[in-house]
Amino acid sequence: MAEATVTESRVLDALRSVMDPDLKRDIVSLNFIRNMKIEGSVVSFDVNLTTPACPVKERLREQSRQAVLSGVPGVNDVRVNMTAEVRRPPAPEASRIKGVKNIIAVGSGKGGVGKSTVAANIAVSLARSGARVGLLDADIYGPSIPIMMRSSGEPEMREGVIQPVEAHGVKLMSMGYMSGEMPLIWRGPMAHKALQQSLLGVSWGELDYLVVDLPPGTGDVHLTLVQTVPVTGAVIVSTPQDVGLQISMKTLRMFQQTKVPLLGIVENMSFYICPHCGGRDEIFGHGGAAHAAEALGVPFLGEIPLDPAIRKRSDSGVPVVLAEPDSGSARAFSEVTGKLAQQISIQAFRNIPLTIIEE
Amino acid sequence: MLTFPEQATTPSEIRKKSGEGIVIRWLDGHASTFGARFLRGSCPCAQCVSETTGQRMVSEEHIAPSVSIESARTVGNYALQFTFSDGHTTGIYSFEYLRRICPCEECA
Repeated sequence: MAEATVTESRVLDALRSVMDPDLKRDIVSLNFIRNMKIEGSVVSFDVNLTTPACPVKERLREQSRQAVLSGVPGVNDVRVNMTAEVRRPPAPEASRIKGVKNIIAVGSGKGGVGKSTVAANIAVSLARSGARVGLLDADIYGPSIPIMMRSSGEPEMREGVIQPVEAHGVKLMSMGYMSGEMPLIWRGPMAHKALQQSLLGVSWGELDYLVVDLPPGTGDVHLTLVQTVPVTGAVIVSTPQDVGLQISMKTLRMFQQTKVPLLGIVENMSFYICPHCGGRDEIFGHGGAAHAAEALGVPFLGEIPLDPAIRKRSDSGVPVVLAEPDSGSARAFSEVTGKLAQQISIQAFRNIPLTIIEE
Repeated sequence: MLTFPEQATTPSEIRKKSGEGIVIRWLDGHASTFGARFLRGSCPCAQCVSETTGQRMVSEEHIAPSVSIESARTVGNYALQFTFSDGHTTGIYSFEYLRRICPCEECA
């Protein structure tokens, strides 16, 4: 019997059976397969995913390996290298920040739900996965990111462009830097200008994700954000209770009205594990956000426990995902980040290009 | 007020035709053609519509027939903003608003 020749097109045909579970398309038509090499009976290639934080990475690796091993005669060994390149959603070129692929707004219905803690931990988790990440603290009322990220120093101005501070692998800019220890007592137009400068006047460089920590509720800063840049999507942080009280819904509707896709809801302070007896207490109730997400058809990204370690690590400037990466709370944040990254990738393939054709 | 499904307020194509105005094709298949004077007279900004009463203060009849759109830009994901030849530029026309004021026979 003549030995079957392994060709690139046979390998690709076999790989067409591997589906990306989120984008609902096969990995060949998604153009994920790169650098294929065939040496006799050994096939090697890269699978270039849409995010390094992909939660189904290992599953896709194994499926790709099996598909080629069993689907292409003559193959004895398959080497799959998993890589990632964050895709940029199609949006008008003129109004976007140069080099920044995705802008993720983190909002909440009211203050005190842990929005900044969630934003900081998501940003650090994304950076830990290998992505290039920026974090913009746009909370003029209580800029807390510089404390949570223990960033020393302040951004410098070079040739009229602000150089962001870097902490834990994340590029930082905060409204808190604009006033030192003085409170920001701003009328709307000042907030508007400051945010525009923080978005467009900062040398962000090449970023896969820019996470924007918004003030609570709905207001000037939110409007400026959605009018200045095409926001890839928004995350709503809520406690089980404020969803029950319909407060988060207003923020959610604001994003809907301005056509910012909702990437999902995170339930923070979801439950409390007593350090003395190990009993679980649901202080603010439980499951409110999951129910709301389901009713609204918005992805539910996960639950973060009310854990003293999260608070302690935030206060000391090293987010829990970095300080205690194996803890339950860190794992909860990683899970939320993975689901969020999936949703962002989905948006990158779904968004409709908004370009005005001039005739 | 009439609310539209998502598809009806999401454009699939936006064209600016020189001298004629703006043509938007929507995801639900409908197409809207907006003349420059009509758009200028439908401006939703606070100078053209009273913020307290909601009453329109500047409408199409106040606008010169020769008005044209000098430039158009998108605002975030949700709206368009125009620079008219009379210098007016403050209106942010959300896609929802544009669909609501579609002047075609079927909609009007």
